[in-house]
Amino acid sequence: MMIDISREAVEIVNPVINRSLRTDDLDDEEICIDVRNVSVLFNLSKNREDGLKEYFINRIKGKVGYDEFWALRNISLQVHKGDALAFIGRNGSGKSTLLKTIAGIIKPTRGSITVNGTIAPLIEISGGFDRSLSARENIFLVGAMHGHTKKYMKKRFDEIVEFAEIQRFVDVPMKNYSSGMVARLGFALATCVNADIIIADEVLSVGDAKFRMKCEERIQQMLKAGTTILYVSHSAAQVKKICRTAVWLDKGQIIDTGTAAEISDKYMQSLKKE
Amino acid sequence: MFTKGINEFMYYVPFLKEIIKRDFKKKYYKSVLGVAWSMLSPLLMMVVITIIFSTLFKREIPYYPSYWLGGNLLFAFAMDGTNSAMNSMVNNASMIKKMKIPNYFFCISGVTQHFITVIFSLVPYFVVSMLIGVPLSWKMLLIFFPIILVYIFTLGLGMFLCAYGTFLRDLNYLYHIVRRVWLYVTPIFYPIDIIPEQFRFLFELNPIYVYISIFRDFALNDTMPSERMIIVATFYSILTLILGITTFREKEDRFFLYI
Repeated sequence: MMIDISREAVEIVNPVINRSLRTDDLDDEEICIDVRNVSVLFNLSKNREDGLKEYFINRIKGKVGYDEFWALRNISLQVHKGDALAFIGRNGSGKSTLLKTIAGIIKPTRGSITVNGTIAPLIEISGGFDRSLSARENIFLVGAMHGHTKKYMKKRFDEIVEFAEIQRFVDVPMKNYSSGMVARLGFALATCVNADIIIADEVLSVGDAKFRMKCEERIQQMLKAGTTILYVSHSAAQVKKICRTAVWLDKGQIIDTGTAAEISDKYMQSLKKE
Repeated sequence: MFTKGINEFMYYVPFLKEIIKRDFKKKYYKSVLGVAWSMLSPLLMMVVITIIFSTLFKREIPYYPSYWLGGNLLFAFAMDGTNSAMNSMVNNASMIKKMKIPNYFFCISGVTQHFITVIFSLVPYFVVSMLIGVPLSWKMLLIFFPIILVYIFTLGLGMFLCAYGTFLRDLNYLYHIVRRVWLYVTPIFYPIDIIPEQFRFLFELNPIYVYISIFRDFALNDTMPSERMIIVATFYSILTLILGITTFREKEDRFFLYI
């Protein structure tokens, strides 16, 4: 079978700029994330230029060229407070880049992003852990990244450890943790720091079924409390269960937006067509 | 913009504390003597250096062990601090790529690490000074002035080097050589008097020499440094910090692709 990138799917659907994700019951609520015409350019250097020698040689040869790669092109979307929004798309479609841009880790090359509220980013499973430290130290470290004092984190400490189910391993360096344990701690921490917006990038993909259920429950609770959730998952079932709306990304562009069920069905269909 | 920067800084103060603690722990990870090394290693070096050079410069330099220790204290602070700050982006890549934290905090932590070492090293410095009979004076308390100036200078230079070093790793090796040369052109183990009078102004172009000589005036010579020296020293520190901050800000948006 030939593996071709879903070019067809991209060309058929013409990306429309400036969509607003609105479902009827959210109409009056305030916008907490406003992404306007955001593009992100990555310079993929043809020759790695981490060295002076290479740099000068290439400079002399006139080869300090880059392959321009637009990881995101002209993305505009608005997220309402309390919404659960899913991002779906294939690997390399720009989901993580978009989330990192919203989280403020990457600055957009063009366009602007306005965020009202604090963000707890859980990107690529571990949310900025230092693996050489123990879970105990990491809890305080990540808590501090969210501007929480040690006193505050001490109050939440037991709750976090209990939720992550790592009681026995709190003082073990995290480099010895299994990926499931890291993911559990990451999720427990991100949901305990009282952020207004939670970015969950494939966090639930490594946990076991029981933990996933627990997480889904926690997410539902938080949604009720008015937390906004940006969610990435490759499981259509999960997306439908958790999210209300969805954005379909491909090659850094928005293909379609709508309700979670509708978009994930469309996406699955397009995959079958290839 | 200035108040915004201050607010941001205050918001991340707990984080800064944690990261400094972490770096400190990591530095002495699995070492039995731990922080005692920051007091022991200069002392051991002092013994060696004193044996080698004190016969050479016996007449010129009174209290040679303290002369060397004080100079080395500030010099090592500046060199190790800039080096830590320079590598701070690469060493903290896992956090920078996944969390929104102002990057410069890792530079501050890198420099502060060595500032803590300096504080610890002051203990053996004063013990040695008392043992060899350096006259005590209230002016000794003023040594914090040159130490703070070195801190500012080191942070500025560290951020400047970091802004380029993150893209060009070769800078690490180059800077290693620069540090070696810098050591020899700074009167740490030799007296400034061996330099002919007409060339001494050249040494004032070396910020670290200016800081060290202020330090020695307070701690060894029991004199006030000339106003000129103080102005020059302050000027170096502030200028370097401004240079560091502006360069760093200009480059930092592109860091995450290179770490």
